[in-house]
Amino acid sequence: MGARGSVPSPGPETNRYGGNTSCVQVTLSDGTVIALDAGTGIRSLGLSLPDPTRINILLTHLHLDHIQGLMFFAPAFQPRSEITIWGPEAEEASLEDRIARYISAPLSPVEVRELPCDVSFRETPATEWQIGPATVRAASVSHRGPTLGYRITEGECSVCYIPDHEPALGADLDDLEPEWISGFELACDASLLIHDCQYTDDEYPDHVGWGHSSMSAALAFARRVRAGRTVLFHHDPTHSDDALDRLHDRAVTRWCETGGEPTQLELACERREIALGSPVGTSA
Amino acid sequence: MNAPPQRALELILARNLLSSLSTAAFLVDDAGMIAFYNEAAAEVLGRRFEECGPMSADEWGQTHGPFGEGGEAIPFAELELTRGLVRGRPGHSNFTIRSLDGGDHLIEASAMPIVATGGQRGAMVFFWPAETAP
Repeated sequence: MGARGSVPSPGPETNRYGGNTSCVQVTLSDGTVIALDAGTGIRSLGLSLPDPTRINILLTHLHLDHIQGLMFFAPAFQPRSEITIWGPEAEEASLEDRIARYISAPLSPVEVRELPCDVSFRETPATEWQIGPATVRAASVSHRGPTLGYRITEGECSVCYIPDHEPALGADLDDLEPEWISGFELACDASLLIHDCQYTDDEYPDHVGWGHSSMSAALAFARRVRAGRTVLFHHDPTHSDDALDRLHDRAVTRWCETGGEPTQLELACERREIALGSPVGTSA
Repeated sequence: MNAPPQRALELILARNLLSSLSTAAFLVDDAGMIAFYNEAAAEVLGRRFEECGPMSADEWGQTHGPFGEGGEAIPFAELELTRGLVRGRPGHSNFTIRSLDGGDHLIEASAMPIVATGGQRGAMVFFWPAETAP
């Protein structure tokens, strides 16, 4: 529902890949819907859901491009909706209190306590938990501030979502042992990996330490974890559709040079749907 | 899925940091294993971390020390540095370490615990050649 990073970037030059920020809808075999992040893309997801709705929202972190859509998520304003929001714990404050910094004056006309829906906030546990027929796992990953990646597994299918990730910060992903690669265990052998690829290789040197991956680092990570398919995600807001087309071509070329199949790799595109086997389906 | 257990993110980031430093340093995990040491430390110790991999405190002690002024082995538990870490505090000690070629090096070592949500993950230990009296 949104594949852009940092800030919404609507306009004629971003129509094809989309300008909404991070949100991925995952639909399980029994119809259970999970939203991965709540960037501005969650607004259109909310409009497509029935009333009443029961939904779990898995937040990777609380940077604005991952929570901005919460205020515009229609089910939050429907009294019969049941919304569970999961996110990283932090010692400074509870998840609810940290989100309330955004959903409160002067940034918002309403307060969390005024939302008419049944909403609960839960810090992710250290162990796996169940949502419908799926097993969900969260793990801390390398980004600025407390940040999680998620893995959702149903049957033989698994989706790993790490939209903001800089595993190559101070490290060479080709040489490191797996246990020392941020996010490796979470993503290992995932059917589908949705991973940060904010920068081209030329742009990355000016953004080292900002918490995002270059194209080469994203591909190296995907190769190391043996992802079945990889979707490059969290497009930089300055990247037009044409620029992303060029990035896609370079990525596929590099991927194939290192033994990958071109069909395993694509750039995230708003409203793109991917069916995984039978049980788990996603749309960005 | 058949991945090895993941190291805590704080240890991963610490290793990445130490890898980038010119100050000799090693990384201890929450079980007391020497989980990593950097290139600057390798120059003193006489072998790169990639050649030996992680090692227990006992393995480290037999090869590299710490040793006292008379060459006697010092149990880690008796170092001020270790006592500090056990209490979740920084620590500092002077002692001798031995490189693989048998050379002894008097060093000053400072340790900083790595504490995150959920407790202590391990420690970073930095060391320098000890300053000698003129």
